Amino acid sequence: MAGAGGGGCPAGGNDLQWCFSQVKGAVDEDVAEADIISTVEFNYSGDLLATGDKGGRVVIFQREQENKSRPHSRGEYNVYSTFQSHEPEFDYLKSLEIEEKINKIRWLPQQNAAHFLLSTNDKTIKLWKISERDKRAEGYNLKDEDGRLRDPFRITALRVPILKPMDLMVEASPRRIFANAHTYHINSISVNSDHETYLSADDLRINLWHLEITDRSFNIVDIKPVNMEELTEVITAAEFHPHQCNVFVYSSSKGTIRLCDMRSSALCDRHAKFFEEPEDPSSRSFFSEIISSISDVKFSHSGRYMMTRDYLSVKVWDLNMESRPVETHQVHEYLRSKLCSLYENDCIFDKFECCWSGSDSAIMTGSYNNFFRMFDRTTRRDVTLEASRENSKPRASLKPRKVCTGGKRKKDEISVDSLDFNKKILHTAWHPAENIIAVAATNNLYIFQDKVN
Amino acid sequence: MEFKLEAHRIVSISLGKIYNSRVQRGGIKLHKNLLVSLVLRSARQVYLSDPCPGLYLAGPAGSPAVPPPPPSPQQQQQQQPGEPAAGPPAGWGEPPPPPPAARAAWPEPEPQPQPQPERPAAPVTGAGDAPRGGEVEAAEAAWRRVEGAREAAEGGAAGPAGGSDGFPEGPRGARRQCGCPPGAEDRPGAPGACPRLACCAPRPAEDEPPAPPAVGPRKRGAAGVGGGPAGGPASGSSPLKKPRRNSEEQPGGAAAAAAEEEEMETGNVANLISIFGSSFSGLLRKSPGGGREEAEGEESGPEAAEPGQICCDKPVLRDINPWSTAIVAF
Repeated sequence: MAGAGGGGCPAGGNDLQWCFSQVKGAVDEDVAEADIISTVEFNYSGDLLATGDKGGRVVIFQREQENKSRPHSRGEYNVYSTFQSHEPEFDYLKSLEIEEKINKIRWLPQQNAAHFLLSTNDKTIKLWKISERDKRAEGYNLKDEDGRLRDPFRITALRVPILKPMDLMVEASPRRIFANAHTYHINSISVNSDHETYLSADDLRINLWHLEITDRSFNIVDIKPVNMEELTEVITAAEFHPHQCNVFVYSSSKGTIRLCDMRSSALCDRHAKFFEEPEDPSSRSFFSEIISSISDVKFSHSGRYMMTRDYLSVKVWDLNMESRPVETHQVHEYLRSKLCSLYENDCIFDKFECCWSGSDSAIMTGSYNNFFRMFDRTTRRDVTLEASRENSKPRASLKPRKVCTGGKRKKDEISVDSLDFNKKILHTAWHPAENIIAVAATNNLYIFQDKVN
Repeated sequence: MEFKLEAHRIVSISLGKIYNSRVQRGGIKLHKNLLVSLVLRSARQVYLSDPCPGLYLAGPAGSPAVPPPPPSPQQQQQQQPGEPAAGPPAGWGEPPPPPPAARAAWPEPEPQPQPQPERPAAPVTGAGDAPRGGEVEAAEAAWRRVEGAREAAEGGAAGPAGGSDGFPEGPRGARRQCGCPPGAEDRPGAPGACPRLACCAPRPAEDEPPAPPAVGPRKRGAAGVGGGPAGGPASGSSPLKKPRRNSEEQPGGAAAAAAEEEEMETGNVANLISIFGSSFSGLLRKSPGGGREEAEGEESGPEAAEPGQICCDKPVLRDINPWSTAIVAF
């Protein structure tokens, strides 16, 4: 079956039957902090899946080609390359440690045999080239097979080296390092549709880079107030439009999104569009501001919509309508009454991401207890699924989960108080063309596929 | 009333978070601390919107020669023996809530920072002393009851950072008239304005009564920064700035002698609340003339930042003292 929901195939989260495909990562109960996955991203073709972790490592999985002799492994993702992208650093001038945690990975569109991706920690962005080597030259004149230099005087004949096949070796090498451009913590990077530039955003500023130039960047958004005492909001996420290379959006901690057009001025402090939904005064609480802070913003593949994630909901916005979202989906509304506890244990600051399906017909985001939620925009149905080892039999269907919000708990339901808030799914990714999803649950990466797939 | 208890708790928790964030790996996270400061401010506003008139101490120490309003001396007898006659907690900068009659002159300070009205509040207070009537005394009575409880619990309650006794004199001192602006969008929690009477009713001794009466801050406030005027003009260079900003100047110095942790007396915590609660800037204390320094600091970036500074290259206080450093470390 072709991709996501084309033709007569049902599309979206609920009409699909999600099945367990694979899980990557250690089974240990004891999770090393460095192994916690901090970002997940498919490349443009979906053949490669990259994860970054708190230890600064990047692991890339590659999808196996269809192989008649091993039909079951079709579509499986296996480790392709692992490398240490960032190391912990220390800023001596400010006596600050710079975490090596990979905040974001973004792939570049493939232009030749090699693959390129951008990975960033709090301060530095790196462009990595991942290339394969499956041939080796043999028969050098000036050195032996084991590399030792030959004595030139002993050489009596010349030969032409020949290429011989070797075991596939995947090399990752840093090609560019974009450093020292951010005073605050980088939260987003986004590659432009022109494939030449990209933006990086920290709490107060957004910079525009050229992929070839590392020694300078253009500052295109600066919301730092002259007097820091007047700071009221920070930038939480930013993304380029998928098709219009002059347009990008950035979200704020106040729950607003600004769309900027780089053609209008060099410094895009004035937005072209301002998206904000008026707050419902009846739901005001101490934590209203925190839960309205947007943790992620993603354009739809079509470029017509964008989606924002705040603490309790996902909202879909039509770029042509600034006054309110066109869709609002509650992710875990039952947490609204628990905000104080969630504030105490810091969970309220968790930054959930969200993603679109390839056809934009469904959206997905994570929750607690290793639950993740899918919303089908066409059928308006939603489902809660769980990423757990218990449901990890090969090709086993995932059973919808339900959280009981009060009153009598039915069988198979889980009560709000039993939720494990340490098991949070912050990072998810959807294959760009097919119904394959990658869900990061702490230190494990789950891959689910649609049954038909 | 539960709102106040919850507010109190939230303030304590928030302070703890702010304090702990300084030791977290990776530097201080601006976003999280901004959110925490917003919660802190909300909670503080709820807490301070206690509808008990007279439960305040007079205006900023900077306000020259504001005679302590009548309740103050009585309060002082209760709580701050040896309190300087100035009464008003230096660090507090929160002008006392005007008595009902004067409320008109107190346009909604809560919802938006409106520095202008707050400044005249001091004189208003003075003026407003007279109209205060029986309700004030009732409030004072309630106040004294609570004071008693607090003093009893004072003991070794020198709280841990953000400890539960986070609510010392400060908030009391700065408390406003209840239901102050009836229309006040008293933001969090409290639906509408609490009926004054209800609030004036015996305030249950808060589950964690703030420990020492804020002798600390007041004394220090008076002594530490060289009085209000020093702090006042500094941030008051722009007249539109909230007087509360004055409090930022003062407590910084006010907390001169306090060690950060064990001796984080509630008074200092109160100052911390006022600092943090008034605006995010509270977290980024600037020295007098900070505006300029800010610009300079910004240009020179990392070079100007002193060790232990935040990632926001905010120039650190020159007048280093442990407490200020702690605050400034933001």
